[in-house]
Amino acid sequence: MRYDSITEAIGNTPLVRIDPAVHGLEHIDLYAKLELLNPFGSVKDRAAWNMTGLRLADAAEHGSQVVELSSGNTAKALAVLAGMHGLAFKSVTNRMRVPEIKDLLLLLGAEIEELPGQSECLDPTATDDPLTLFHRSLSEPGSAYLHTDQYFNPRNTEAHLTGTGPEIVKDLDGRAPDWFIACVGTAGSSTGVARVLREHDPAVQVVGLVAAKSDFIPGIRTIDEAHQVGLFDPGTYDSIEAVNSDEAIEGMLTLNRRCGILAGPTGGAAYFGAVRRLKAVEADTAERRSAVFIVCDRVESYVSYVRQRRPDLFGRPRRANSPADLTDAEVRTAPAIGVTQARTWIGTGAPLVVDLRSPYAFAALHIDGSVNIVDELFEELVHGGLPFSRTRPVLLACPVGEKSARYAALLTRMGHPDVRSLAGGIIAWRDAGAPLVRD
Amino acid sequence: MGGQPLYLAPRLGDRLRSLLASPELLHPLTDALGSPLNVVVPDQLAANLEQFRAVYDRHHLSGQVLFAHKANRSSALLRRLAATDAGVDVASLGELQHALGAGFTPDRITATGPKNPEFLWLAARTSVTVAVDSPAELVQLAMLVRKFALPRACVLFRLAGFETSGVRVLSRRSRFGTPVKEWAGLLDAVERHSDAVEPVGAAYHLDTTSLTEKATALEGCLRVLEECRSRGLRPSTVDIGGGFGVDYLADGEQWERYTTGLTAAVLGTRPPLTWGGHGYGLRNESGTLRGSLALYPAHRPLAGPRYLDGLLGHPAASFDGRPLAALLLEHLYDLRIEPGRALLDQCGLTLAKVLEVREPENGGELLVRLAAKADDVALEEHGVLMDPVVVPRDPKRAAAGPVAVHLFGTLCLETDLITRRTVFLPHRPEPGDLLAFANTAGYCMDFHATRAQRQPVARKVAAWQEDGAWRWCLDDQYWPTTSGGAPGYDMGGAQ
Repeated sequence: MRYDSITEAIGNTPLVRIDPAVHGLEHIDLYAKLELLNPFGSVKDRAAWNMTGLRLADAAEHGSQVVELSSGNTAKALAVLAGMHGLAFKSVTNRMRVPEIKDLLLLLGAEIEELPGQSECLDPTATDDPLTLFHRSLSEPGSAYLHTDQYFNPRNTEAHLTGTGPEIVKDLDGRAPDWFIACVGTAGSSTGVARVLREHDPAVQVVGLVAAKSDFIPGIRTIDEAHQVGLFDPGTYDSIEAVNSDEAIEGMLTLNRRCGILAGPTGGAAYFGAVRRLKAVEADTAERRSAVFIVCDRVESYVSYVRQRRPDLFGRPRRANSPADLTDAEVRTAPAIGVTQARTWIGTGAPLVVDLRSPYAFAALHIDGSVNIVDELFEELVHGGLPFSRTRPVLLACPVGEKSARYAALLTRMGHPDVRSLAGGIIAWRDAGAPLVRD
Repeated sequence: MGGQPLYLAPRLGDRLRSLLASPELLHPLTDALGSPLNVVVPDQLAANLEQFRAVYDRHHLSGQVLFAHKANRSSALLRRLAATDAGVDVASLGELQHALGAGFTPDRITATGPKNPEFLWLAARTSVTVAVDSPAELVQLAMLVRKFALPRACVLFRLAGFETSGVRVLSRRSRFGTPVKEWAGLLDAVERHSDAVEPVGAAYHLDTTSLTEKATALEGCLRVLEECRSRGLRPSTVDIGGGFGVDYLADGEQWERYTTGLTAAVLGTRPPLTWGGHGYGLRNESGTLRGSLALYPAHRPLAGPRYLDGLLGHPAASFDGRPLAALLLEHLYDLRIEPGRALLDQCGLTLAKVLEVREPENGGELLVRLAAKADDVALEEHGVLMDPVVVPRDPKRAAAGPVAVHLFGTLCLETDLITRRTVFLPHRPEPGDLLAFANTAGYCMDFHATRAQRQPVARKVAAWQEDGAWRWCLDDQYWPTTSGGAPGYDMGGAQ
């Protein structure tokens, strides 16, 4: 396969059958439409390309900036497409809650603006919500924006009407599946595909999946939020069902670990919602049936999202010499020294003074002659063994003498004969009127 | 009644729950003192202070917790707080006089907000800390200090317009504070007037529920204070204002059902849930929902002390992701906070008597008229949707099933609706019953109340528990010595 441009690699994604041993459905063949294999990593590549396409050359001529309200995949695809044409891209959002996606967008050269939060002292007469202000700024005179408007732009749906939908029918030998299950984000893919499938077979059942209301699944809206989407028409779906984030991650793990499909939580939600729905209806059917769901994007960008909800999945072996291993008694009896004696001790020139605070705080004010090793780094160091010679006495200092006591206990346990914690920390030092310097 | 009743039951702490279960107290009180009537619970304020203190302790932070006085005018609440270690944040001459009279010593008072010369003079005269809004106000203060030979004034600079690198965090424009871009000019002014003013730190107060915006501002303050230190100044304090919020509702599912119901009503797929089909900021444009919900997020588990805890644990991007609490501690700064609403959580309620219950001839919601104006119960003004609790006059009355009602105020004015929402009550109220609006102490009690049409404003009483019973006195009669009686009574909260 040889292409002149990466954009030619958008679409024509595989339709892969899920092993029945995994989903347990006896009469239904379940297929995953692998949109994660699009070149920029998601189903949104199709919409982004269809919404910009020919307009990019024109925009480049006028020096326009591409803007979109997106918290993830659309922004990613648009950032790449804009970059390919030498254009800047800005994403405006209040929904971008996955840090890796933010970082990835910045890496791709996107500009990100986060909308302000709701007012704490609410003014109910204020009708200018942040989105109204956003739209106003787009139409200000002299502004040059290419606003793709994914939630209202019919070219979003069209990408699936001409691409995703027909591809599914072709791969099923010219037939529509009996069920089609998709998550509702911009509603572009579900609306476009549903229309194509119904043209082939009006009996196809379309299930729209939304996020449970108090929950957050990247790329899926709650039912209330879906109503704010111009492309969303409740009539598209035979039923609308909610999935929560635990279920989405459960589905994702099944796809990742048992099917070799490195789907993200959105694809996991689609799989979970599909199997739940199909299990419920399978009893009524004796004939062989088929169902298709969409795997929207990849798992790699959601590690922190998953870690937050399922820390158990990231269990690591315990490391040696960790301050977490200390008993309360060890910490309580850690060798410590008060400010007055510490000053005398330092006066003898014997101890190495180690300040465990951050470099910024250290730069601002510190004990004269001290060395700064921030606690995170110090923890790494001691995993590997004592970082000081046993013959060198050490005075550890932190803000209030709590962390320093832990490390004094730890170093003592590791065999250091003369390590002490500054009791009350740098704050006690300051309160006693002892000198702090900046260099 | 059109489907399942969409309740929004208030979250009630032990004290308010016990008070609402005391009709033998509430009915005679309103009969004697009139409707509406505000009840404040000073001991709850001291308990809330402890909750904030516990967050400080967890992060090993020191510094003052200041009560934002503007949230309630009560004397009882202020005097109760004077018996603890808390401070008070005053925003007018009257509030400053009130705080001094309640027993707050100047080291526990900070003057903020727009200031007239009298306010500024009294603040400087009594040596309370002044949060200065602009270089011009700093100069004005310095001139007052010199002209009247006053002691050097301790000042905090109030900053605004914080900026980020990487992801740009947008914030609503504020009319208060000096833009952080212009801090250099402010510092120049501080240095020029160092004979008259002594900088103690930086402050911000952002009107937003967003944690990220506040974290950005706190980082910005740390940067400015770092500059102060490099100029040889010794600032000691970061004041992060308030806005920690309150969780008003008992049940998150009720809030979700209601907001989904409201969305459906605006889209026309279910009967209206409001007077005249009001959408609370939502509107229907050819079947698509537009606008945004202009309501307080009434179910808000991350509020008050927990919000503060979340903010302090937030990583500071420009300091290698170190948590804000660790940075404050390591830089040896005191943390000051100024909660209003959050400190007053569960500290009071507003009682209103039912005057009339009318059944419309064509059916539909009952029309309930109260002896109170909408501005006496300003929950709606703050976008807080929450059900009142019915306190029946006759406790033996047989309870019928749930009803949907509209709550009207007593003004001769079409728009005097206690709420535009259709309220669902578990039982039909009758004339003479009381409707108790819980948790009104923060901003919803006396902030907006007027004497329009020569209607009275609510009287206020303070209530406390003693020997298992509720006692009360007029708000103005309450002093820390009033409750508890015996000498040596443990006021709590004092350190």
